[in-house]
Amino acid sequence: MDDAAVVPTVKAFIVEKFLFGADAGKVAPDTPLISGGIIDSLGVIELVTFLEQTFGITVEAREAGKTHLDTLAAIAALVKQKRG
Amino acid sequence: MEFGWSAEDLAFAESVTAFAKKELVDDIARRDRAGEFPRELWRACGRFGIQGLPVPKEFGGRGLTALSTAHAMEALSAACPDAGFLFALSAQMWIVEMPITRVGSEEQKRRLLPGLCDGTLVGALAMSEPGSGSDAFSLQTRAEAVDGGYRLTGTKTFVSEGPVADVFVIFATIDPSLGLSGITPFLVERDRPGLHVGEPVPKMGLRTSPMSEISFSDCRIPAENRLGREGRGAQLFNDTMEWARSCILALAVGAMRRQLDASVKYAQERKQFGVAIGTYQSVQRRLVEMKVLLEGARMALYRAIWAKQEGKDAGSAAAIAKLVISEAWVQSGLHAVQVRGGYGYTESYGAERDLRDAVGSLLFAGTVDMQQNLIARALGL
Repeated sequence: MDDAAVVPTVKAFIVEKFLFGADAGKVAPDTPLISGGIIDSLGVIELVTFLEQTFGITVEAREAGKTHLDTLAAIAALVKQKRG
Repeated sequence: MEFGWSAEDLAFAESVTAFAKKELVDDIARRDRAGEFPRELWRACGRFGIQGLPVPKEFGGRGLTALSTAHAMEALSAACPDAGFLFALSAQMWIVEMPITRVGSEEQKRRLLPGLCDGTLVGALAMSEPGSGSDAFSLQTRAEAVDGGYRLTGTKTFVSEGPVADVFVIFATIDPSLGLSGITPFLVERDRPGLHVGEPVPKMGLRTSPMSEISFSDCRIPAENRLGREGRGAQLFNDTMEWARSCILALAVGAMRRQLDASVKYAQERKQFGVAIGTYQSVQRRLVEMKVLLEGARMALYRAIWAKQEGKDAGSAAAIAKLVISEAWVQSGLHAVQVRGGYGYTESYGAERDLRDAVGSLLFAGTVDMQQNLIARALGL
């Protein structure tokens, strides 16, 4: 999967998992996911599992927080960095 | 959804039933009163292969699927009216052996699984703390990185098999500022300096599965005792609880089957006003409801296990199974007591013990209230 596909892939997961398929337009690349209340602490764990399984990367404990996971843009940057 | 029992499953369940009736049914009332864990029976179960049912053969297990394992455990429980002991066996399978099998290193699996399977070892999981029960991830136990490993500090409570366990799967945080992402599982041997095991806690039921507090004070463990990667404890715990909620209550389904069979027999034999009490519709209604509760519980059980086994999103199914089966078990137990009248309230038929044991299922592996929260979350609420 190329880098361009990361954002739509993660967005589809978030809409399905945390917005229950509704209101996909609510999630833009800069929409705050954790600080905006879309993903709670348990959801972060599910998101990390999804990222690791989908993109074949390893997210370290200290990366599993708002700095790297609060927006689609930040998530895409993390995935890109991990995949080198 | 598709699950059918193979000829091999059915034959194995028969052999499990024969084993239980021969080896596990004596002296239960006394052990219940004494809160005694039957270590020799634990070893007998190990020799038969109960503890290793779902563990891969290469690590000393039988390598059964989760569905086949639950089918065997239902048979075991239908034949053995010691739900505490059955709970201890089931808990070890799903909340100790399963996480080790899933994320343990090759060395950890070879070191621990054969002994857990053959009954040499007893394993326990320690998650709850005095200040964190349902809110399990607010735990305070620290695992501070030190040269070559970790130093554990903290207290765990409600540890089933705590008084008798040889090895513990425990959860601690490597850094409280990381929140859930700091929670990490570890393996701790009972003889590790700094691990203190408390006295058995007297409780209402499941008394042959003794419970205690355990605490850690400057308890040092090597890095190779970490179970999986740092920060993956919340994931592992959630997955482990899904397995537990899906599978542990096979013992309840077996117990309900046993209760129903015994209650029907009692209603056919007990005479009042010159006729068997089973001829009265009020008694029939209780027995019919027990049958309906049993069949509903069985469907919920195998539906959840099937989903989990097939790798589907099983969180909701597991929570529904836990909720439905535990409440059904309690209600079935009440009916079993009431069918027997005053005798049901005494120790004579074991019905009061069954009821006390069933109440525990409303609480362990997440209370029924928490299961409702999980189901609501899956509904998007």
